[in-house]
Amino acid sequence: MSSAGTKLGKQDCAAPQTKLRALLVEDNALDAALVLRALNKDGFEVAANIVQDEAEFTRSLRAHPPEVVLADYNLPMWKGMDALKVLRAEALDIPMILVSGALGDVTAVECIRQGATDYVLKDGLARLPEVVRRALREKQERSLRHQIEQDLALKVDELARSNADLEQFAYVASHDLQEPLRMVTAYTQLLAERYRGKLDESADKFIGYASEGAQRMQVLIQDLLAFSRVGRQETSSASVDCNDVLKEVLQSLAAAIAESGAVVTHSELPAVWADRTQVAQLLQNLIGNGIKFRGPEPPAISVLAEKADERWQFSVSDNGIGIAPEYAENIFIVFQRLHARTEYPGNGIGLAICKKIVERNGGKIWAESQPGSGSTFKFTLPGHGPEERIVAQ
Amino acid sequence: MMHLLLELLVVDDNPADVALISEALAGTKYHSKVTSVGDGVEALAFLYRRDKFVHAVRPDLVILDLNLPKRDGLAVLAAMKAGPDLRLIPVVIFSTSQLRKDIMRSYEMGANCYVTKPGNLNGFFSAIKSIEEFWFGFVNLPQKESNG
Repeated sequence: MSSAGTKLGKQDCAAPQTKLRALLVEDNALDAALVLRALNKDGFEVAANIVQDEAEFTRSLRAHPPEVVLADYNLPMWKGMDALKVLRAEALDIPMILVSGALGDVTAVECIRQGATDYVLKDGLARLPEVVRRALREKQERSLRHQIEQDLALKVDELARSNADLEQFAYVASHDLQEPLRMVTAYTQLLAERYRGKLDESADKFIGYASEGAQRMQVLIQDLLAFSRVGRQETSSASVDCNDVLKEVLQSLAAAIAESGAVVTHSELPAVWADRTQVAQLLQNLIGNGIKFRGPEPPAISVLAEKADERWQFSVSDNGIGIAPEYAENIFIVFQRLHARTEYPGNGIGLAICKKIVERNGGKIWAESQPGSGSTFKFTLPGHGPEERIVAQ
Repeated sequence: MMHLLLELLVVDDNPADVALISEALAGTKYHSKVTSVGDGVEALAFLYRRDKFVHAVRPDLVILDLNLPKRDGLAVLAAMKAGPDLRLIPVVIFSTSQLRKDIMRSYEMGANCYVTKPGNLNGFFSAIKSIEEFWFGFVNLPQKESNG
């Protein structure tokens, strides 16, 4: 085994010196000296280890991690490019510059393609300092970018986790609230049934209020559970034919459609990449709203879709009471209602669920409306899955 | 037609629910005798006539909650379905849970039916009355020796 490396100290130079830890893969002592002189002459104060084979290279890499590797392309026992494999195996991002007596353009391009940072010919060593400087700069930028990406990924992770915690909390809380509330509901109803007219008028009224409140809270909790379920369920995305889904939705709304005399028209609808059950719920909520918030005329609802880049943009329009523009965003918040319960029943959960469904399936939803002139709800959904998109390019 | 006194065992840790079940069955034509225990260990002691339950009567029907202290409803169900005689007693799971996993698990383990506790009084009463009507009115229960 040869010696583990030769240390060469700094050499005298007038220019301000940049300290540089370099690892040279070189079997020719004279060439090594020339490389170091080229660097020292141009502002580097180099501390270098010089090695000739893989064992030495690996050992030196671990003992004194360099900032740059300068490797001869042709060594008697080893190929300079093999140093790259070692760097990869050690998971080190250290720029490697080939320094070679003769390197054809084709070979040079191939080396860079394989991961060498750059190459310098031995008879053009004056270029070396600039090449090293650029390699170090790029490395620094790479590290910075990597750091930023990591920070971002960490933040995204944290956010996803706290979101999941919140959903879990909402689910558990509402689930566990159901049980005691069922007692309150059942027993206030039992009281009302057994003791109506047997106490006094106020007692009947009080029991009535308590009973109504408990029942309303039950519905609220069930809505909250339905809302948090959208977030908790795995969405299983597939290509979904919206014509089929709409047909089913209209069937389950048949009673409301018949009762209100609603007319629902639609264009030919596309296939989207989404969770089928959720798309059905989305359409059902929007069309159901069109029927519920109707004006004096029987509801006329139209469902249209048009292509918008990689996505489909749907619109569900009605001729109902409309929404003042200042409420166009609020309506998507959980339990936000614009009307008294006596005018239009409900808890204000439908559109919140719609928003959650659309966002979970990679789209956006918004409302365009004027009071008295109907509402149009628009949403986007991806037309195809991620892998198909790659094929399409 | 004369109705025999039918024995109903309610396994539920919530006294309010037990009281509602008794209320629902008060005054029906079946004269069911309701006995209740509050946890899984007591339920099994009752069914196997152990400890303070040595004189317990074998129930004709068990109404079993899932979420119970000590041993849960599924453990009680499993123990019942493993006993040569106890496995003959019909078990109605009566739980708040609407989770598919609870429902599937109950049937897999041999529950005779699964009923979710309705949230309002009328629903609750009609569920319990229907259970009684079905099991004590229409169903041929496994015959006791004296009837054979």
